[in-house]
Amino acid sequence: MGSRNNKILAAIVVLCVLGAGAYIAYAALSPSETTTDARPKARAVLAGSDVMVRAVEPSNPRLNGRVFIVDHGSVKQLPGDLSCERVYYAAGRGICMGIAPSGVDYTAEIFDAKMETEHQIALTGLPSRARVSSDGRYGAMTVFVTGDSYLSSPTAFSTRTTILDMASGKQVGQLEQFKVTKDGKPFDAIDFNFWGVTFDPRDSNRFYATLGTAGVHYLVEGNVREKSMRTLREGVECPSLSPDGKQIAYKSRIGKEDRWHLRVLDVATLEDHAVAEERSIDDQVEWLDDDTLAYSDEKNVYTVPADGSGEPELLVRDATSPARLDGPDLPQ
Amino acid sequence: MYQVEASKALLKPKLWARRSARLNVPRNVVMLGMVSMLTDVSSEMVATILPLYLVFSLGASPLALGAIDGTYRGAAALVQVISGFAADRWRRPKQVAEAGYGISAVGKVALVAAGNTIGGIGAIVAFDRIGKGIRTAPRDALISLSSSKAGLATAFGVHRAMDSAGAMLGPLIAFGILLAAPARFDAVFVVSTFFAVLGVAVLVLTVQGRPKRAPRVDDGTPPPSLRAALGLVRDRRVVVLLIAAAVLSLTSVSDAMLYVGLQRKIDFEPAVFPLLYVITAVAFMGLAIPVGQLADRVGRVPVLLCGYALLFVVYGALLMSSLGYGLLVLCLLGLGGYFAATEGVFAALAGAILPEELQASGLGMLTTVISIGNLVSSVAFGALWLTLGLKGAVLVFAVALALAIAAAVPLLLRSQRTPVHG
Repeated sequence: MGSRNNKILAAIVVLCVLGAGAYIAYAALSPSETTTDARPKARAVLAGSDVMVRAVEPSNPRLNGRVFIVDHGSVKQLPGDLSCERVYYAAGRGICMGIAPSGVDYTAEIFDAKMETEHQIALTGLPSRARVSSDGRYGAMTVFVTGDSYLSSPTAFSTRTTILDMASGKQVGQLEQFKVTKDGKPFDAIDFNFWGVTFDPRDSNRFYATLGTAGVHYLVEGNVREKSMRTLREGVECPSLSPDGKQIAYKSRIGKEDRWHLRVLDVATLEDHAVAEERSIDDQVEWLDDDTLAYSDEKNVYTVPADGSGEPELLVRDATSPARLDGPDLPQ
Repeated sequence: MYQVEASKALLKPKLWARRSARLNVPRNVVMLGMVSMLTDVSSEMVATILPLYLVFSLGASPLALGAIDGTYRGAAALVQVISGFAADRWRRPKQVAEAGYGISAVGKVALVAAGNTIGGIGAIVAFDRIGKGIRTAPRDALISLSSSKAGLATAFGVHRAMDSAGAMLGPLIAFGILLAAPARFDAVFVVSTFFAVLGVAVLVLTVQGRPKRAPRVDDGTPPPSLRAALGLVRDRRVVVLLIAAAVLSLTSVSDAMLYVGLQRKIDFEPAVFPLLYVITAVAFMGLAIPVGQLADRVGRVPVLLCGYALLFVVYGALLMSSLGYGLLVLCLLGLGGYFAATEGVFAALAGAILPEELQASGLGMLTTVISIGNLVSSVAFGALWLTLGLKGAVLVFAVALALAIAAAVPLLLRSQRTPVHG
């Protein structure tokens, strides 16, 4: 050993420090692209209500995640500087889940109709799903947590779903802490994961969501005030209630893979049917009206009739996270 | 098994550095600690940002993460025993450890060069884990052989404290880089590679491959055979230690599961969750060295048992009907103390009784027994939670842990008895 090794080590340390420092400086100082002409492009003719979307332009940080409104075929950017991975809006308030201004953390913002932030909430993981009840009272957010997912089964992941009071920005509860019953008996396991909340448009206190445990995905029906849920049936992920509250669109897993087909379920009879989209879709579907679904393939937003007829049609290019805009207090 | 995934919430990491000057720890151990620290900084930097990177840069679904995570654990399983024996057989623990650290470093370089596909990242992460599996047993053997038998627990304490310091610093450095250069994940990978290379350089250039307790190679004795290594389980003292390790690890619930349990008890804001890991890790880091010294002074067996008693107390807290924030913090400090009193001390117990020429094999067996025990206990705890509920599951485990501690007392004491030859 001795001094020769120490000299070599000192040289390596200096080289590594200089190399690392130089690379960080290069990365920090190199300009990012600033093309501003790219933006979501809507299909020329669009019937029905307005839709809010977020732009997908990974190569352009200035545009990626910006919120746009699609109004009868024309696309316009909403004011403000919200940048979202997932966005939703109803009755005067919206949720924008994204990366914090620092660029290294996740945060959710509750914004108003002027697209101004009212509340900020730190998130513990990757934004996944956001919903606001149609009366604007409650919000729901699902994140993927990476810190505590490594211990259960090999394909395990962990989610956390929070119900928010939209006016105060305060947490009403976490679904992980709600009581669950299955066939009338208490039901609980360490690998319980909840995601994809949808609120009943007629009574925002009632909601549906997905409960995943031991490889089974239950449709659960819940009550915010009572902090309770009960399982309804299996094989339903990311439910979404139609505006009349009579149907649930959801994604149905193909075998054990992470691939899904979209299906629609009758709430009263629990009978379901496929829709005409044949590709695998990983999204929480939105209803444009009682007959039409909107969803994204993580690149573009499409529509398809809910009754299984017709075929998918492109609604907006380079956009995800569609949210129907109707009722009062539309964003301006 | 012990991970700090979200220490970005930690603003001022407690540094171990000032204490060690007063400690009489062999230089080789400090250098091995340095190697582990640099390598952990490198690995945890990548582990922290991998989800961000996969989703935002590669457009992958977070579900792809689950698959990658599975590759992680599958990859490292049995490698430990094999590499431990290889280190003894070739009498080159340092070179086997170098291979392990080297493989991880090469994986980092590959990440810089080809980390833009999900399959590629999965393979590289698996690479990293295999490297970890290879290096653990020979590195622990080097720590053990570099220390006097009287100072083993302190030596392992120093190493574990430095190791977890690296695991805490890694995420902080990664987030610091992303603050300076937003969305430049490549910068994180490049800096991570430099840390990995530095770790290997410190190992190659400063660590003694044949420390003072290492068996001499020039006296004509043949290298230990596979039979001799397997024969370890016929050594009464080794086998009782392995049995004690098995019963204790089978009744220990992993920290991550305890956090989930605590979360169901207290309705805290989700943003608080990462803090649970951080508080526990800081306590572990701060206590590892003093607890190691204590173990060397008053006895390793009582300190180890106190560690498991702390875990028992945490189980007790989970049985209470309600928990306040004060008790929550106490639980986390207790968990940190439990890690400090068990992680390194178990290795010290083994190091003290294993023959010099079979240190790596024996330490490899010990870590494998403990990790299989933890895996089985996790599955069992999950199943009990489903059938009996959280309280029922904790109650069963509390009773089992109490029995395991009672059973471990005579086993551990017998394992540390001076051998009566014959």
